[in-house]
Parts: sequence; structure tokens; C-alpha cells
Amino acid sequence: MRRGVALAGSALGVAVLAGALILLAGDGSPQAARTAGQQQPAPGDPLTPEEVGRASEIANRRHMAGGRVELLYVERDDDKAHEGDRRAAAYFYDYARDTLVVRTVDLGRGEVVAESKAAGAQPPPSRREEVVAAELLLADPRLGRGVRAEYARAAGRPLRSASDLGLRGLIFRGGPCRTHRCVRLFVRLPDERFLDTSRIVVDLSAKKIHTLEW
Amino acid sequence: MLLNLALAAVLAAGTLTAPDSRDAAPCREPYRVDQRLPNGARWQLCWEMRTIEGLTVTRVVYVPKGRRGVGVLRSGALAQIHVPYDSGEPRYHDIGSLGPSAVPLTAADCPGGRRREQTVCVTTRPRGHAHLKDGYGDPGRRRSAQGHELVVLAAYQVGWYTYIAEWVFGDDGSITPRLGATGSLAGYTTTPKHGWPTGVGHRHFEESHSHNVFWRLDFDIQGRSRDVVEQYDFSGNGTKKRTMVRTRLTHEAKAVSAPMRWWRVLDPKVRNGDGHPVSWEISNSDSSRYRGPAEEAFTHHDVYVTQYRACERLASMNAAPRCADSVDAYAGRERLADPVIWVNVGFHHVARDEDADPMPVHWQGFRVTPRDVTAKNPYGG
Repeated sequence: MRRGVALAGSALGVAVLAGALILLAGDGSPQAARTAGQQQPAPGDPLTPEEVGRASEIANRRHMAGGRVELLYVERDDDKAHEGDRRAAAYFYDYARDTLVVRTVDLGRGEVVAESKAAGAQPPPSRREEVVAAELLLADPRLGRGVRAEYARAAGRPLRSASDLGLRGLIFRGGPCRTHRCVRLFVRLPDERFLDTSRIVVDLSAKKIHTLEW
Repeated sequence: MLLNLALAAVLAAGTLTAPDSRDAAPCREPYRVDQRLPNGARWQLCWEMRTIEGLTVTRVVYVPKGRRGVGVLRSGALAQIHVPYDSGEPRYHDIGSLGPSAVPLTAADCPGGRRREQTVCVTTRPRGHAHLKDGYGDPGRRRSAQGHELVVLAAYQVGWYTYIAEWVFGDDGSITPRLGATGSLAGYTTTPKHGWPTGVGHRHFEESHSHNVFWRLDFDIQGRSRDVVEQYDFSGNGTKKRTMVRTRLTHEAKAVSAPMRWWRVLDPKVRNGDGHPVSWEISNSDSSRYRGPAEEAFTHHDVYVTQYRACERLASMNAAPRCADSVDAYAGRERLADPVIWVNVGFHHVARDEDADPMPVHWQGFRVTPRDVTAKNPYGG
């Protein structure tokens, strides 16, 4: 049976869950064709780890002036107009300017063939952003204390770092996040409970926490 | 009669040409699926675990028994899982980087099949009767067969939920994309008017919510050119007669479901042995048809038809520069030359005691069935 428990002095609540729910982490590069070996990939194959690495390197060659820019991930470009080509889309986000930058890399030619930018476009959070968001949550004096206390109660030992938590992030837009890049986290504790984080939004652009009211 | 049959066979062989199963495969192991089912039907496709959309099937070819293959889908993937709660908040868009959320599967998660790269299962399973026709006492005339289906599936952990995404390819040429939600309930407490009492007594009311699932299907029947979309209605209400009304969608469109309404994608130049255009029919009759507020206009229709644009991938929260944000905006006024179909299937989940815990899977999806792909049932024996 489940019941909601409000954390004293905190906006966090806890949804207590019974039963077996196991959160298994992926390895962060699901699109990488791991077993393709040295063979040339076929047109419909995912990008190989080598291709992902090369696309990142090529996309990063030209420096992006100023800003606070992070590579989110590299996705295979599946545009039918370039059916036979091996192309990759490298997603960058500039948190200072709140701009998404997508660089399209033609792996055959070894160069960036297109670059597009947009303010307000928010692709799903990367694994790294989920951890950064959890770190910001932990850095908040009141909420961080609540998370640590709940973790210690669930695990029987203190929280070492954000990566101890089972994390999944979704983009949140609207409210204070119309222009900023914000995520709402799901935080799973070792005893299978989830913190009630539905009202908590982590603003990655401003590096602060917003508490939603409804 | 015999001559006619022979001619039909020749026509069938001549009209359904490439991609031939003997052509070079467009992808390699472990991304290649080439499955012949017990009745002789065969499906060929590639899969990819994409960072954003997760499991994506591409280059899907159906090879009816004794005939050449016909290309159906260039690609198919989930395009959004929109989860608004009944009190108005929260409202989630569960895509989400689905690729990194994919759950490693065990052998038990993939019975009778083979796991590909830990997160994808490719298997076959029975689907019940394919047909049954009495012989009126003559066992030689009795026809009965059991059907099978090919399943390509992945599961994602998104918060409390585990989503199971299946692409089911039937040995009758049908395609059934469906999504199952399992894992755990959110545990959100609400007032009695927005929830259902779970647990002992009437203390905790679990909040009701919707799962509005969108799929994006890029049909390319024997290549991307010439594909046409039609909507079929059958007028007549409270009367004996029903009259078929065919509407050819020449431009991008937003459509709602209606009784007896369905759509089909056809290539008028690709014909079966009877000279009828090969097509796939789409029905979306099993949706709770959620309609959100004005800022969620993407929920206001059940089927969208848009001209192919590479950057239009998600039904909402699309994240591509120089591209619209949601499917209602994609469906503008463009003339359709290479149509993409978006299907929105809603499920309204009112929790019950049995949902805790783990929550039994609840499914939602739709059917894509062949219409005139073959001149007759090729599996009649």
C-alpha cells in the first residue's frame, strides 16, 4: 500500500511504493552500434561508437563564441533527402544565451554541412543534465537537506553524490521557464520510493530551483 | 478461369517489384529483422534505438506468401506520451530521452525470441485464429488456421512508469503499434472528484490522468513518391442505408475520429493482381479522445496528415531549430507529396486497488491493416 508523506519543513513529499520496481540505467549512448565491429555500417544501421565520437569531434571543431555551451548528444540524422549518407546531428545547448544549436555532420565528408540555431527549442535532457539538475537540487539548502535525509533513511547511509539517486528528467516549459532550459526530475530512492518532485523545477540556465504552485 | 488466375499471378509478380528480399539489406545484424512466420508471411525491417524517440522501426517491407515484397513504412516511432493529471497539474511530456531510459531486458522478457543489444526483443507469438470455416461435415473442406505475429519491443523507465513499446507485425500483413504502461502509480493524492480511493478506506485518492500517446508513421509504399491519403466515411444516421464518402486529402490535414471513419495510404501506381491499388488502412477507434486546453492544440485531433519534413519528429515539444513545435502546427496548408501520418491514442487511467503494485500493464494502440495488397487471402491453404 502507498501513502503520501509530507516532509517536515520541506516542499518535498514522498510517495511510498511497495513492490519490485528496479530502475536500471542505460549506458548513455543507446544509438551507438556496439557490435558492428570494423565493418562499414549499412545505411540503416545506427551510428557506431566510432562515428559518434568522430561526429562529436567534428561538430566541436569550430568553437562557439562566448556562452556556456554543452554537447547534449549525437543522434543519427535520418533525413530521407540524404538516404545513402552517414550523417549525424550534434545537439548543443548554450545556457547563457538559451539557444539550441544543431550541427549536422556529414561523416563521409568529415565536416559540418549545416548549422541551425533557435531560442526556445528544448530537446529532452541529456543524462549529464539530469545529474547537474540533481546537484542543483542538492545545493538548495532546504530541499537538499530534505533529499539527503530521505536518502539516508532509505539507504541507511549518507548520500555521497547526485549519481547515487535514480534520476530521470523531463523538460518543463512555461511559468518561469518560458525562455530558460528547465527540467523536472523524477528521483528514486534505494528503497523504491520516489520523492514527490512534481512541483520542483530545476532551472539549468539560471542555476536555481523554482517551486510551482497549483 | 485458370487462365485468368495465371494472368493475375503474373500481374501480381510484375507490379509488386523492388524492394526485393534478395536485394542488399539496408541494415546489418543485430539491427536487421527478417522473419518468416509459419504461414509463409515474411517481414523485413531495421530497428534503431534513437536517443530521443527510442525504438524506431525503419524500412519495413511486407512479403506476402508467394509474392514479392512491398515497402510499407520508411519509419515508425513514438512521437510523444503526454500525461496530464485530472486536477490540471502536473502535465508531463514523457519523451524524455527514451533511448537512455530503455530498460535492459532479460531472457524472460523475450520468450521465444532473441534480445538485440540488451534493450530490444525480437520474437514471435501466436495471435489466435487466422481463419475458421466449417466443412459442413467434410473434413477435407474444413479450413482452420492459427495465426502468428512478429513482435519488436522495448521498455522504458520514465519515473514510476515502465512503458512497453511494441511494434507487432501480423502474419496477415497488419501492423499494430501499441504502448503498455506498467511499473507503479505516481502516488499523487488528490480530492475525491479527481481520483479514486486506493489503499485501505477512503484516505488516499489516487489522481486520475491520461496517457495521450502519439505515433509518427512515415508511409512509403514502394518508395516515397505518389503516396496518397484518403479518408472514408459512411453517411447515414438513423436510416437503413449507408453511403460511402471518399475524401482525398490533397493537402495537410487534421482529422478527428468518428464512427466507421478510417483512412488509407495508397500508391495508385502499385497494383495488386486484381488491378486495385495497394494500400494500408488506419483505424483509430480505441481512443479516449482527450482534448486539452488551447495551448495543447496537438491534443485536439486524432489523426494528422503532414508533408514529410525531416525535422518534424515529435507531436509536441519538438526540438529542432527552424521547425514547428507540435503536430497541429506541422499540419498547415502544404500540398501532400510524401505524407506522414500521426496517430493520437488516448487512455484515461482511473486507478483501482489492483493497480498497486506492480501495476498491471494497460495497453493502447491502433491498427494498420492491408487493403488490396494481395488479390486474395494468400494464406487460405
